[in-house]
Amino acid sequence: MAISSRTNRTTRKLLWTLFWCVLAFVYLFPYTWMVLTGFRHGVDTISMPPRFIFEPTLAGFRHLFEVTGFQKYIINSAVVTILSVVLVIGVSAPAAYALAQISKRGGALLVAILVARIIPGIAIGVPVYLLATRLHQLDTYQALVIINVAVNIPFAIWLMRSFFMEVHPTLREAAISDGCSEWQVFTKIMLPLVLGGMLATSVFVFIAVWNEFLFALILTTSVSPTAPLAMLGFRTQYGVQWDAVGAAAFLVSTPVIVFAFIMQRYLVQGLTMGSVK
Amino acid sequence: MLLVLGVPLVYSFYYSLTGWSLVIPGSDQDFIGLLNYTDVLKSSEFWASIRVTLIYAVVAVSLECALGIMFAVLLNLEFFGRGLFRSLMLIPMVITPAVVGIFWKLLYEQDSGVFNYLLGTLGFEPVPWLSLTVALASVIIMDVWQSTPFFTLIILAGLQSLDRDTVSAAQADGANALQVFRYLTLPHLVPYIMIAAAFRIIGVMADFDKIFLLTLGGPGNVTTTLSVYAYNTGFKVFDIGRTTAISWIYVVFVLAISAPLIWRLFRGASVNRH
Repeated sequence: MAISSRTNRTTRKLLWTLFWCVLAFVYLFPYTWMVLTGFRHGVDTISMPPRFIFEPTLAGFRHLFEVTGFQKYIINSAVVTILSVVLVIGVSAPAAYALAQISKRGGALLVAILVARIIPGIAIGVPVYLLATRLHQLDTYQALVIINVAVNIPFAIWLMRSFFMEVHPTLREAAISDGCSEWQVFTKIMLPLVLGGMLATSVFVFIAVWNEFLFALILTTSVSPTAPLAMLGFRTQYGVQWDAVGAAAFLVSTPVIVFAFIMQRYLVQGLTMGSVK
Repeated sequence: MLLVLGVPLVYSFYYSLTGWSLVIPGSDQDFIGLLNYTDVLKSSEFWASIRVTLIYAVVAVSLECALGIMFAVLLNLEFFGRGLFRSLMLIPMVITPAVVGIFWKLLYEQDSGVFNYLLGTLGFEPVPWLSLTVALASVIIMDVWQSTPFFTLIILAGLQSLDRDTVSAAQADGANALQVFRYLTLPHLVPYIMIAAAFRIIGVMADFDKIFLLTLGGPGNVTTTLSVYAYNTGFKVFDIGRTTAISWIYVVFVLAISAPLIWRLFRGASVNRH
């Protein structure tokens, strides 16, 4: 009896595993197809019927770097993203710590964050563009970094505040009564404790800045366009080099996918700004 | 942050009261009061973009909700490699939206796209995915593909926090699977679904990258959402006064829909698994 119910259970598990193999294959097909396109000759992609089995090639990547000059876009993306993440975390970590001590509810902060989060980028697009023109900051790294930092700081403060609030308050009180200054509590005790949360926040900001398109479109032309913007270049090109597009898509999306996998544990908390843990 | 986000908003309100157009020199001094606002509110293009935005938001978010619940329940079953599948199903969610847009364009190509090829092998006629009649549906399908994992992830977190003992007790009392789902699981999931929907509604109303890369708002204006409409008025026509007026109407529109939603969630129904 016990044995047969166990085999039943195993069979059911196997069947559901099979079901998920099929479902995941179908659902992820657009992504799989994108990756395959990057490793396939351009003519094989648009030939009818499309080639599912093909001789892999790096021609798309070669075209991307030798003809399109894609390295410039990737380098711009890396510079803008890393600078933005460092600045956002550098400003938000102390701010989040301070706010975690002051109030438990944070009404005004919440309003600021929600408004910043809700306002669509395009709604401030025109004035931001005009301001950047007037200050001669069009097509510069700093313009992109500043706008990305401004957009992401409220979210970062809010998320990190929730990590700081998970640390038991008696820890801080004990340290202070032992003669630690507030700054020492912050750097020596709090930061190591919330390191995981801080890394998670950095990854969220990284993904947001790396994927950002609208402000890159508005604020850059030839010097500092980022990688998502290169996609628009592909679109307007006559006779699209699909192997190069596939290769570019693969290169742009891989870092964010890898980061999301690493930070999966924090994903729910980050995406819902801490409203679901 | 207040400086970088607040100053442009204040500026934009001032501009929206002028007749400033970048193609007419000196027009930035034309103070015309609320004329831009009445103009926009009277234009059929504006109402068309509101209609597209609402259809896109309502249909996409409903489908994502339904599919998200389904996937979450399926991912919560017992099977081999569950952790791996849970990770894999996240992929669409994080891919750069601009990449999704350009790539779905390839999938949707009428003559050389792989979707129409697959439909062909199943014996169906090719679908003109990016034509006047189908394009909005295609944009919605693309978003459902990318955003369903977001719902799945959050609803799965809800399922994992469901008390197993309650479920066992109900089963012992003779409740069938459907009854357990309807009277226990679903009510427990409501706050999670609400949170996911609220965040997605905010996101969907600001969506720009994917749509812009896939269709540029076309053909005609059948996929021109408010965001694409505002972009085109600002950066193709360079009518600053009008664009800033649109932006302000846009902000009020989005705030009116999402602020109460989010506010209630954070005040009342936020859920912790601990």
